Amino acid sequence: MIMPDLTLTEEVVLLALDDQTGAALHLPYSALSYGLAGAVLADLALAGKIDTDDKSLSVINATALGDPLLDPWLSLLAGEKELHPVAYWLSILSQKQREIEQPALDRLIARGILRLEDKKILWVIGRRRYPTVDGHERTEVRTRLGRLVLGEDLPDPREAILIGLLCGCRITDNIFPEPEFAARSDRLATLAKLDLVGREVAAATSAAVDALASARTSAMTHM
Amino acid sequence: MEIRESSANEVPLLILTGRLDGRTAPILEDKISSLLATGINHLVFDCSGVDYASSAGLRVFLSTAKKLATAKGRCGFAALAPNLREIFEVSGFLQVLEIHPSVADATIS
Repeated sequence: MIMPDLTLTEEVVLLALDDQTGAALHLPYSALSYGLAGAVLADLALAGKIDTDDKSLSVINATALGDPLLDPWLSLLAGEKELHPVAYWLSILSQKQREIEQPALDRLIARGILRLEDKKILWVIGRRRYPTVDGHERTEVRTRLGRLVLGEDLPDPREAILIGLLCGCRITDNIFPEPEFAARSDRLATLAKLDLVGREVAAATSAAVDALASARTSAMTHM
Repeated sequence: MEIRESSANEVPLLILTGRLDGRTAPILEDKISSLLATGINHLVFDCSGVDYASSAGLRVFLSTAKKLATAKGRCGFAALAPNLREIFEVSGFLQVLEIHPSVADATIS
């Protein structure tokens, strides 16, 4: 297990920040919103609350976990009478990015992993950043996942899900920039597709990026 | 899901029949934990009767294979039913797990 005290949601939030500055990484349009939506679903799946297949997501135990990061979303899923595919719920939860991300950031600060830094420009808050306190959590995740990508070991289910989420929202491009990882792109792709939620996050992100590119092209041709 | 315990060529065998989903996966997980606790280092699943596996079911398979690999053991998946083979293909499990056409192959190779 990777950092068992952290939820996948917290890990994705942590890894979506720049190592040095604590600023949000530059990710493709909608990537982080889908990544965080997927992380919430994956956390609920690992907790035995939901199950998924290529057709639908079902709630198998609606009892609250006692985790304020996840319980509102479990409640939302449990309140729906009809079954919907994972892509539907990614779409719904991706619109809640701020409500998912901010409590996770707050908890990472409370745990002493991140600190809040407000840069003031002309005496007003101009830029909020979340640098790591010592960076060892992020280093540990990167080292463990990097070893999996560069080696041939099997991942455990949690590691497979995390790799799927990070690939799906394209954080892996930032955390594995070295050439040896580019040479292992097939291995990374194999690991990333082991879990359904990661595959769906990748599909949703690609669709959003394509839609944006298409809208830009259309706008350019009508200028 | 029905889970029958057997052996072939002295290799522990779990014969699975039915649906492996979020409700039945914990039952299989408990069964596997009991088996692993006896110190076995080779386990084969007869998957000829598994007509469905959800994400929860797939995680049990991956977790078991990982535990045995970590212990320098082996975990084989034999005689995949067509639906399960398709699920394994889509999820890349065919590439990372030890797959065999039959229980006999899985227990002698």
